[in-house]
Amino acid sequence: MRKALGLFAFLGFTLFLLAATMSLRPFGAPPHTEMDHYFITHAQEQASANNVVTSIVFDYRGFDTLGEATVLFTAVAGVLMVLRRKEVSS
Amino acid sequence: MTTTIIKTTTRILASLILVFGAYIILHGHLTPGGGFQGGAVFASGLALLIVACEDEIVKKRFEKVPLSPLESIGALGFLGTALLGLMGYTFFKNVIANSGFIFGGKTPIGINPGYLNTGGTLAYMNIFVGMKVLAGLTSIVLIFFLLLGGKKDEW
Amino acid sequence: MNFSALFWALQVLVGLGLIISATAAIRFKNLISAVIAMAVFSLILSLEFYILQAPDVAIAEAGVGACLTTAMYLLAIKNTTDEEVIE
Repeated sequence: MRKALGLFAFLGFTLFLLAATMSLRPFGAPPHTEMDHYFITHAQEQASANNVVTSIVFDYRGFDTLGEATVLFTAVAGVLMVLRRKEVSS
Repeated sequence: MTTTIIKTTTRILASLILVFGAYIILHGHLTPGGGFQGGAVFASGLALLIVACEDEIVKKRFEKVPLSPLESIGALGFLGTALLGLMGYTFFKNVIANSGFIFGGKTPIGINPGYLNTGGTLAYMNIFVGMKVLAGLTSIVLIFFLLLGGKKDEW
Repeated sequence: MNFSALFWALQVLVGLGLIISATAAIRFKNLISAVIAMAVFSLILSLEFYILQAPDVAIAEAGVGACLTTAMYLLAIKNTTDEEVIE
């Protein structure tokens, strides 16, 4: 019974992935949206950097990076608090 | 883990990895990469230095390195650079760009090879985030290594 | 050989390598071999990201996944016993 259920789930997931792959757009041609066009044409003069990815990560979407930095800080603080002993100090 | 092959490889390779990580952090606003990626590469070089040496050498080498202050300086510097935009504008506004300060040179528009003296607050944020990431990841690897407590090497 | 055929050949090779290394990482009984197989999986995944023209993600994956995670897993395994217990 469990084996049949597993086989059914495997087949269903494979068919779903195949259908999703069939309906993909060709490589290098994403759907055209207003936001991409605005970023690509205006990022260099507004954010004053050649790398558009950096200007999106640190300027347009800065709050995202702030949350990521908070997550990393919390993780490191937790690891150091759990594993720190008296003679181990870094 | 500390055979002669690994020690010799580390002596040659570690400096190259550290220089490449610093390059990725400093040129984050011109070439692919940025603060997080450069910090991860820099921390992997430091992890190589930690893993390939004996316990006493690692303790002596990393005794003076202020990892926790570097982490705090990175987080506070990132927030402070973002707060700089509140002088008349909004949060995360790029105020240093085209102002003549360090990293605030005039940015050429169009296709150009890219100049290091541009970018405004982006370059500062790259440096601060890189500092933070390298201190955090290195301290995790270092505390895992120091938990061993000088156990004998079997492999 | 034009660019498109080379692209598809690389895609198929990278996918096969991903499947083989992931299966090896699950199937190995020796934990250190499994960790090394996972490092190989991470490296091939970063190559896939580079082929799909995302060099930022490729650098992050190669630095964190292939180097730092491997070092952390190896140190954590060395802190415990290094063989799987089979009852």
